[in-house]
Amino acid sequence: MLRSAMVDPQLALPQRGLWGDAARRLRRNRPAMVGLFCIALFASAAILAPLIAPYDPYAMNGSSLDAPSLTHLFGTDLLGRDIFSRVLYGAQISLFVGVGAVAIALVIGGALGAIAGGFGGRVDSVIMRTTDVFLSIPSILLAIGIVTALGRGMPQLTLAIAVSYAPTFARLLRGSLLALREADYVVAARTIGASRLRILIRHMLPNALTPLIVQATLVLATAIIDIAGLGFLGLGPSDPRTPEWGTMLVDARQFMQSAPHIVVFIGGSIVISAIGFNLLGDGLRESLDPKLKR
Amino acid sequence: MGRYVVRRLLAAIPVLIGLSVLLFAYIRILPGDPCVAILGQKRTPELCAALRENLGLDLPLWEQYIRYLLNTLSGDLGASVVNSQPFMAEFLTRFPGTVELTIGALIFALGVGIPLGRLAARKVGGRIDGLITGVSLFGVSIPVFVLGLVLVAIFGVILEWLPTQGRIDARARFEATSGLLLIDTLFAGRLDLFVDVVRHLILPSIALGSIPLAIITRITRASVIEVVNEDYVRTARSKGLKEKTVDNRHIMRNAWLPVTTVVGLQAGALLGGAVLTETVFVWNGVGRWVVDAIQNRDYPIVQSTILIFALIFLIVNLLVDIGYALLNPKIRYQ
Amino acid sequence: MKNLRIGAILGALLMVAAACSSAPAGKAGGTLIVALPGDIVRTDAALMDDSNTSYVIQQVVETLVGLEPGSTSKVVPVLAESYEMSADGLTYTFKLRSGIKFHDGTDFNADAVVFNYERYIGLPTELRDYAYYIGDIFGGYGADSNLESATKIDDLTVAIKLRKASSTFLLTQTLQVFAIQSPTALVLGKADNTETDISKVTAATGGAGAMVGTGPFKFVKWIVGDSVEVEKNADYWNKDKVAYVDAIVFKAVAEEAQRVNGLATGEIDLAQTIAPATIATIAANPDLQLIDRGSSFNTFQISMNHTYAPISNPKIREAIAYAIDYDFLIKTFYAGAAVRATNWMPAGVAYAKDLNLPGYDVAKAKALIAESGETDLTIDFWYPNDVTRPYMPDPKGLFEAISANLEAVGFTINANSDGWREGYLDDEGQGKYEMWLLGWTGDWAGPDNFLKTAFFGYKNGAPSKEFGYKNDALDKAMNDALAAGSESEAKALWETAQDLIRADMPTVPVANSKPQAAATIDLKGFIGSAALNEPLNLVWLDRP
Repeated sequence: MLRSAMVDPQLALPQRGLWGDAARRLRRNRPAMVGLFCIALFASAAILAPLIAPYDPYAMNGSSLDAPSLTHLFGTDLLGRDIFSRVLYGAQISLFVGVGAVAIALVIGGALGAIAGGFGGRVDSVIMRTTDVFLSIPSILLAIGIVTALGRGMPQLTLAIAVSYAPTFARLLRGSLLALREADYVVAARTIGASRLRILIRHMLPNALTPLIVQATLVLATAIIDIAGLGFLGLGPSDPRTPEWGTMLVDARQFMQSAPHIVVFIGGSIVISAIGFNLLGDGLRESLDPKLKR
Repeated sequence: MGRYVVRRLLAAIPVLIGLSVLLFAYIRILPGDPCVAILGQKRTPELCAALRENLGLDLPLWEQYIRYLLNTLSGDLGASVVNSQPFMAEFLTRFPGTVELTIGALIFALGVGIPLGRLAARKVGGRIDGLITGVSLFGVSIPVFVLGLVLVAIFGVILEWLPTQGRIDARARFEATSGLLLIDTLFAGRLDLFVDVVRHLILPSIALGSIPLAIITRITRASVIEVVNEDYVRTARSKGLKEKTVDNRHIMRNAWLPVTTVVGLQAGALLGGAVLTETVFVWNGVGRWVVDAIQNRDYPIVQSTILIFALIFLIVNLLVDIGYALLNPKIRYQ
Repeated sequence: MKNLRIGAILGALLMVAAACSSAPAGKAGGTLIVALPGDIVRTDAALMDDSNTSYVIQQVVETLVGLEPGSTSKVVPVLAESYEMSADGLTYTFKLRSGIKFHDGTDFNADAVVFNYERYIGLPTELRDYAYYIGDIFGGYGADSNLESATKIDDLTVAIKLRKASSTFLLTQTLQVFAIQSPTALVLGKADNTETDISKVTAATGGAGAMVGTGPFKFVKWIVGDSVEVEKNADYWNKDKVAYVDAIVFKAVAEEAQRVNGLATGEIDLAQTIAPATIATIAANPDLQLIDRGSSFNTFQISMNHTYAPISNPKIREAIAYAIDYDFLIKTFYAGAAVRATNWMPAGVAYAKDLNLPGYDVAKAKALIAESGETDLTIDFWYPNDVTRPYMPDPKGLFEAISANLEAVGFTINANSDGWREGYLDDEGQGKYEMWLLGWTGDWAGPDNFLKTAFFGYKNGAPSKEFGYKNDALDKAMNDALAAGSESEAKALWETAQDLIRADMPTVPVANSKPQAAATIDLKGFIGSAALNEPLNLVWLDRP
């Protein structure tokens, strides 16, 4: 919901040839490419962690709080575990939970938005009032409430984040669909007697997805930050040994004076991943927005 | 205008009802006995019986809901499981802290964000624009708790410029009246303590304000760029008005509209961010309280805080919408 | 199992000795900022059971009797001038000091003492769960209480009558729980047994009538969740010990990082407890001092419940004891401020002997597991996620390290955690945990306090639900030891008890820690006590 103000549903007006066009423009957008690079870094760290991590992230194989060195790139934590390996595995958690949560939010929010925008009327207002309820609760507080009720753990964490984002997606898709209702080709389809469902699925949805994609990219940045935030509040994975970034930060902060590099490395990883998704999201928006066509 | 306000108020009613249903359900979907959830481990059969009676836990659900609604409307929002203090009294002692913090963050975000946005818009495409865009990108990408830890380390521990915890120097033993220390210290004529309170506010406000700062900078930049080429601005310029006048009268007046909306939308994010910021800065506000409540499984506190935060969010947005309507007469006719 | 360390054991009276020796008077004035690991819970001495609350309350209210300096068993008068026990051991007569006033201006006298003791007997059912120690020590309330009556003989004489003789009665009356509060205030604060809803007992919730005692500090206010403020009692009855500082603000600072930062920036004068992991940071800062609290008075152990498999198998428990890298734990989490436990009680406790406990030996652990015949080596292991304790400075870190040790020898650990107050203590006490981290800080320095009260005594004639540890011979030996007629008999019985425990390895004692405090160098006159019995009236601030 943080970013909902920033995506304009009106931007959902693309025609078929747009994608190739957009891709070309995206490639020329330098910030977006930097973003893509950050994401590639983050994603490969996450996916390749088992291959590239020099140590078992759970094993105590160094002495306590070693400074960064060639043996331990980011140094070791209090228990003598390799921080670099833990940061890599932490990326895995952030990526899986983040992508999982955003995907679930997209499905739930998308379905609700499609129903609301596609059918309108009473269904629409019920769905919209429901999203209003959820949007009135600060997203992190909503996630906190859900995790405290369901108990700590990765599935709960994913669900909590998903629920707090879904309403934004629902509103966004509905907005785009409403804007498309009067589009020429939709009116045309209607006049030739296509069914409402067919119009929704064949004509409106594909064209309404653009802002959703942009928003999903931006929300991934927020998701990574929120996951770490919940971890920081002690609501992360139920097993404290799990190398989750927020949980690791809690441990690291007590050494802020004696070993500040730990906070910097972990905090930096969060920032770089979030910057990546933010840059790409902005780039996508710009390249998908025909108004900005040069 | 009056009709518009009434319409907006009426529109809030279904949301409030939905919210109450959600929070009513919350306590009941918690695993285990609601008696445990509400009274904690120190419950006795007597207390449980009294609670069951009070909440009507043996009644049909809809009757329980009506009771919850009536209790809530009468201001009875439950009590802490841990120290038995009633919610409302406790909330009110902490709320001023959160208010000061969020206002501090907003002032920081607006005070720095708008000038930065205008500057970037004037130098659009240039190096300064790039730098400002970069800073704002960093602002939305850094978690408040990471920024908070870094600020504390640099400005508190290393440079020793600013205090790192609490709202006021505890040694002053200042007796707050309203709880809004900025106002209380002024009324008490304690300028030294007022300065102290401001100093305590700086780091947390920056940490909490970083995200709205980034967003406000971008919005200001975007809306200034948008109106700068509008006809009326050109006309104003061609009339030979001073650049400053054009800026203030013509450009900013229009740029204010989206900024106002964003402030409304950010109210929720600010309250949410306060939870983390207060934890980092040992700030005696609602956010830190909720974190304690979560750790103590103090569900009544969590439940009622969510309710109040949501109410605040709705009210702020109502005010923003009304302000928006005042600023933009077109709205009224829609 | 509470961890309240009330009672004036070691340190309290070391203070007295220190006060006498450090004759050069301190500097009066200033406000002392003390960081506690958590907020206080209540403001009524009788209704408390946690160490944060007792740390604050000990500054404000006082008991009839305390313990002599350096002794853990010799009782000396405080508010009482003298006392005597009747021949049958059932009646204790206390002569009270005259001329003492409570902070509310009312007189401390026999009526006040009677009022307090009658309150213990007649505490309303609804409030009894909040008064852990009273029920525990007197065995119940009303007719079930071993406290039969408290009677005023004259204005300054009180007779307290017991139903059964108890050799530990006087010792237990040194606990802070039995501090005497002003009856006028208790009535005002609805703590006179008329109110059953704890939230309306303002004496306990920081409102009217809260914490009105006779001590060197007076209660000012409690900002719940944040801080408690007390101020100097200029009219303190003990003229030699009137407080130096004008006031103390106790701040709840849960995060170690914030405590260390606060000390470094001068926002905190004294951190009551610091994590050993940050000892190096503090030692390196010339503006700060570390405060040693002398010998250890606690035991940290890996607790186990014998009703679960594979814990029920003694070979498995022995294997677990061999699997732990004790030196690593002590070095990493205690920064050396702890010793390897050689017994279930710390070395200073009477009759404690070196039990030659297993050391770190992976091969031996694996061999024992193989011998045990157990195949399912999965263990549910719990730690508290929101507190640190003096014996357990970093529960999560200890949990992680111990888990790694156990998995290294073949166990599979299911990680679990819960909040300390609302869940953890109750669930482990109810026997819901298979393995968990817990320890004990002594209330008094008798072996019974550790071996029986804290750990393995039968509850209501059966093995405690907590450990599910059945050993009738042990229970009998401990009971016999308490009733033993002679010192030598007691010694023999307690040694037998220790051997019985060692043979079964019911839990794995890990360390006896020496929790450190840290302060700015300006803080003078502070003497730490392993039992956290640290009156702050003799502390002063050496700053302009």
